[in-house]
Amino acid sequence: MSVPALRFREVDVRLGGEDVLSRVSFDVAKGEIHCIVGPNGGGKTTLIRALLGQVPHEGAIEWADSGTVVGYAPQSLDLDRTMPLTVLDVMAIMNQRRPAFAGRSSRNRAAQDEAIARLGLAGKTRRLFGFLSGGERQRLLFAQALVPNPGILIMDEPTSNMDDDGARLVEGIVRELAAAGTTVLWVSHDWDQVRRVAATATFINRKVAWSGPPENALPAGPSPKRAA
Amino acid sequence: MSELYAAIRAGFEALATFGVLPNTFFLRFVANAAIAAAVIGPLLGILGTMVVIKRMAFFSQAIGNAALTGVSIGVLLGESYTAPYVSTFAFCLAFGLVLKYTQYRTSLSNDVLIGVFLSISLAIGASLLLYVSARMNTHVLESVLFGSILTVNDTDLNVLLAVAAICVAVGAPLYNHMLLGSFSPSLAQARGVSVKLVDYAFVCLITLVTVACVKIVGAVLVEALLVIPAAAARNVSRSLRGFVAYSVVFATAACFIGIVAPMQYEFPVPSGGAIILVAAAFFAATAISRNLLGVFRTASVPS
Repeated sequence: MSVPALRFREVDVRLGGEDVLSRVSFDVAKGEIHCIVGPNGGGKTTLIRALLGQVPHEGAIEWADSGTVVGYAPQSLDLDRTMPLTVLDVMAIMNQRRPAFAGRSSRNRAAQDEAIARLGLAGKTRRLFGFLSGGERQRLLFAQALVPNPGILIMDEPTSNMDDDGARLVEGIVRELAAAGTTVLWVSHDWDQVRRVAATATFINRKVAWSGPPENALPAGPSPKRAA
Repeated sequence: MSELYAAIRAGFEALATFGVLPNTFFLRFVANAAIAAAVIGPLLGILGTMVVIKRMAFFSQAIGNAALTGVSIGVLLGESYTAPYVSTFAFCLAFGLVLKYTQYRTSLSNDVLIGVFLSISLAIGASLLLYVSARMNTHVLESVLFGSILTVNDTDLNVLLAVAAICVAVGAPLYNHMLLGSFSPSLAQARGVSVKLVDYAFVCLITLVTVACVKIVGAVLVEALLVIPAAAARNVSRSLRGFVAYSVVFATAACFIGIVAPMQYEFPVPSGGAIILVAAAFFAATAISRNLLGVFRTASVPS
């Protein structure tokens, strides 16, 4: 393995008097696609929140380059459905200092437009965010994570509401980014997808069950969610 | 600044002479109130959009009621009855920051916690107000609760302008960050936003604006001017730019009409009440438009 871009060392998270994560240790190599898999309630999202400084943790989470650009695609935004925010408003809020209502600034504008176009949303920039379909919202949340070009890309089930075309599109873009040196940490429920994209994966159910190449440890067949 | 206010008042008088503005603009306090409205309207209109997007209407209601307690404390400590700014700013800032701090450290839901704080603040305010009322003219009490344009002087305008300047200096560069922090704290953090810091900054802005507007709109009603114009604007907007623009227009128009109309038509109502009633009329009109116009009807269908 090359130099780790991210290192989790004996990470513990306790919330509400309960151990949500216990002694979680694994490395993510630079330029590698690393998937986090595990059951619902297993602590995958909590691990991401600890990584982003949103929940207190014990142990160490080490970034090889603390100044790297972090791209993050959340599962969703906490936003009323009828709020008058268009696709472009959402991109502007995330990418510029000038208040988004005062118009788009030139900063990253071309990159934003390119990301929107790559995710197939070019014709929907004036649509309200709340009126996009679940898959379209995820496309936008993935698109924003691409601007500015991330050194580390963190994604929390970014394709869970997408159709197959959308999921394959995201997979293709992520592969390109990784090939260009971006480190990717990808929470996924879809084991087929993990087998398609991941160089390495970590199975978390409050503790690390295993970590390594997915083909060695993941059972063949669809994810438990689909099987259910 | 007094020269500037005098020049603006002279301008109003000139316009009143030519019949462009009503005769009431010859009155100094009406002109002062109009200057205040020109500042309050855009300020509350823009901040209101954030209050609505961040779902903080109840929070700002609590801050408004805390102003009542702050005024009582000021009078009790011997500040001027008509401008107890030091105590009001101090108490409201402390109230808002402690409430926010507690929100971060409790598992209680926001509405329950704000309900508790609001009740405590009202109980203290009501007790103190009754205690100090013996020293106050009833009209002073009325103007604190519901606003009065009669007492707006150059000092009040100075306070308002200073607060407006702080809001622009702090609020403009942090507007997007404040919204992002409420959409997704994790995403905000990933993008380098200190979510707690911008949250506390927002609480400070709401508090400063609320206290600065108490004179005109009244402690009980000031938060309504943060919420109603923005809510009306939300009814008829299809983008953030439209949302903010309509909110500013509605808030400013409500302030002007609420100040001038009662004088012009000799309605014996407090300025705060009149301003909020005008804003409520905008809300009713936009809510009806939204239901009648096809372009907005689709936007009101629940998911």
